[in-house]
Amino acid sequence: MRLPDSVTGSFLVVLGAAAAYGGYILPPVPGQPVGPNVFPLVIGSGLALCGLAIVFGIGHSFEEEEELIPLEDGQAAAAPPPQGKLYGLRALLPPALLLFYVLAADRLGFIITAALMVYVTSTALGAKWKLALPLAALSPFAIHLIFGKLLRVPLPAGLLPTPW
Amino acid sequence: MLKTLIEAFALISTWEVIIAMFAASVYGLVIGSLPGLSATMATALLVPVTFYLSPIAAIATIVAASSMAIFSGDIPGALLRIPGTPASAAYADEAYAMTRKGQAELALGAGVWFSAVGGIAGVLSLMILAPPLAEVALSFSTFEYFWLALLGLMCATLVARSSPVKAIAGMFLGLLVSCIGIENPGGVPRFTFGLTDLFGGIEPIPALVGVFAVAQVMRAMLTPEPPPLPRRKFGSIMAGQWKLTKKYHWQMTRGNIVGIIIGVLPGAGADMAAWVSYAMSKRFSKEPEKFGTGHVEGLVEAGASNNASIASGWVPSLLFGIPGDTIAAIAIGVLYMKGLNPGPTLFTEKASSMYAIYLMFIIANIMMIPLGIAMIRIAAYILLAPRSAIMPVIMLCCAVGSFAIGNNMFGVVTVAAFGIIGYVMEANGYPVAAMVLGIVMGTMVEQAFVTSLIKSDGSILPFFERPVAAILAAMAIGALLWPVMVWVWRKMKPAQTAAATSR
Repeated sequence: MRLPDSVTGSFLVVLGAAAAYGGYILPPVPGQPVGPNVFPLVIGSGLALCGLAIVFGIGHSFEEEEELIPLEDGQAAAAPPPQGKLYGLRALLPPALLLFYVLAADRLGFIITAALMVYVTSTALGAKWKLALPLAALSPFAIHLIFGKLLRVPLPAGLLPTPW
Repeated sequence: MLKTLIEAFALISTWEVIIAMFAASVYGLVIGSLPGLSATMATALLVPVTFYLSPIAAIATIVAASSMAIFSGDIPGALLRIPGTPASAAYADEAYAMTRKGQAELALGAGVWFSAVGGIAGVLSLMILAPPLAEVALSFSTFEYFWLALLGLMCATLVARSSPVKAIAGMFLGLLVSCIGIENPGGVPRFTFGLTDLFGGIEPIPALVGVFAVAQVMRAMLTPEPPPLPRRKFGSIMAGQWKLTKKYHWQMTRGNIVGIIIGVLPGAGADMAAWVSYAMSKRFSKEPEKFGTGHVEGLVEAGASNNASIASGWVPSLLFGIPGDTIAAIAIGVLYMKGLNPGPTLFTEKASSMYAIYLMFIIANIMMIPLGIAMIRIAAYILLAPRSAIMPVIMLCCAVGSFAIGNNMFGVVTVAAFGIIGYVMEANGYPVAAMVLGIVMGTMVEQAFVTSLIKSDGSILPFFERPVAAILAAMAIGALLWPVMVWVWRKMKPAQTAAATSR
């Protein structure tokens, strides 16, 4: 997902301009010089300026040294992962599963939806079914016990209500 | 004073607080020791649980979990050369070199001992700095608050280990996110696109969970699994720590002070403190050639520093609602939820709660020693848990936790969206901490800005008229212009770039 600076910068310019315009057209508070429109106008303009600076590579010189530092968890030192065309899309799996949860939880219920989520995530991370299956069977109940029973979060029951 | 102290003791000596603190400590130790799960993530996932606790117990869990997680990140750093949290990244190589020399006990012992000392030094700074600053802050008007907030946002961009322009852009993105909703000076729906779910604005906590937890699961999808930990027998862990304390007391003190200062600076947290202190230790050491070969000196200083920054990060959070680091940003959300709205009056009206926070920090740091030793001994078993078993559970916690914040499915959508945003930003060198700060502080910045503008009748001059406001303004503008000045300076003197970047 490493995009060229010109792409992310241009995106920020567009976003900033849109925000500034969106702020500009907001109705003012009658009888007052400043209202809800000022802040988005300032933020949007600032964002657009930053975007322009990024497109032109200002401040880029600060970034070079950083590449050497293992930023997140030192995994940079490990061997490069296998590359395929669709490999990068795997990263979108977690948010996709969360959206699946939003759509399905009310109908299928928490336990079933959660079990599916766990199984898919676990398999995608390289677990064999011997690990993924028991995990998918047990962890939704554990989470439901903590959040649903102890903390009384109204988790949807759906097709498979919990025994408690 | 004594009466409030007794009240504070009464507040924390309930079973709920004690159990919450102990459970949160164990949780923090485990999450911190697992590579890829950071202290901020541990805290963010804890928030839904704190909903159901009393205010003091809620804060206790955050205090305990964050302090423990920062220490326990040292464990895989020393044993595997993979830091458990970004805060341990600075000295993971050094600690691993010590392990290879057969000094794993000394390295880990130094981690636990100097973390505890650093943590307590941080609390002392919180106790000493906060009340007098609160006195000063009581006379602040919206002009001062505006500049202070701006200064805080600028600090976050200055210390980011990335392009300052990208950091400022990240900050603006966060502020833009905070614009969403009807909670604005006009009370009109702003950037809601007709969606009723957006009327209430974007909740900071689901956004934080998305940026720190979901984005991490996304990254895990593309990175290889870390190697398993070789099992080993440990000797005495605390042996020799007192000798180290005496030998390196100056380094320890310097680490504490640097950690405190960096913690107080908004947006700069434990990881920054560790990097700066480790570099400083090397720079001022009598034996700099030993660094990198398994020398304990840098570990002492950086370990003392990153834990000190955790407590001092609460100073601006409690006083102004300006988070000192990302963990404090989450803590602010919890403080608001629990009716302990940050501000200088907190120290006069809710003094006993403040003392309770100090006490909890001290207790957490004392508890860190026995719990930390136990954790070091069982770490080999905990690190056996494969990532493919942990990440799915994290995902479930993200989904349920973000739902629990408002009992609303929109929270889950927010988490997913911010997971993508955080992932893309991180991959392209935009610091997410700056955006987080923008989201958390947005409403406050806008309020201070718009109220000031209304008061001054649209004129800019009153922003600089009050003396404190003028000083803060000068600092904020200086911070804003700093990257430009460095850029110009480098253009003029290309030979000295190395000097300019070594900060």
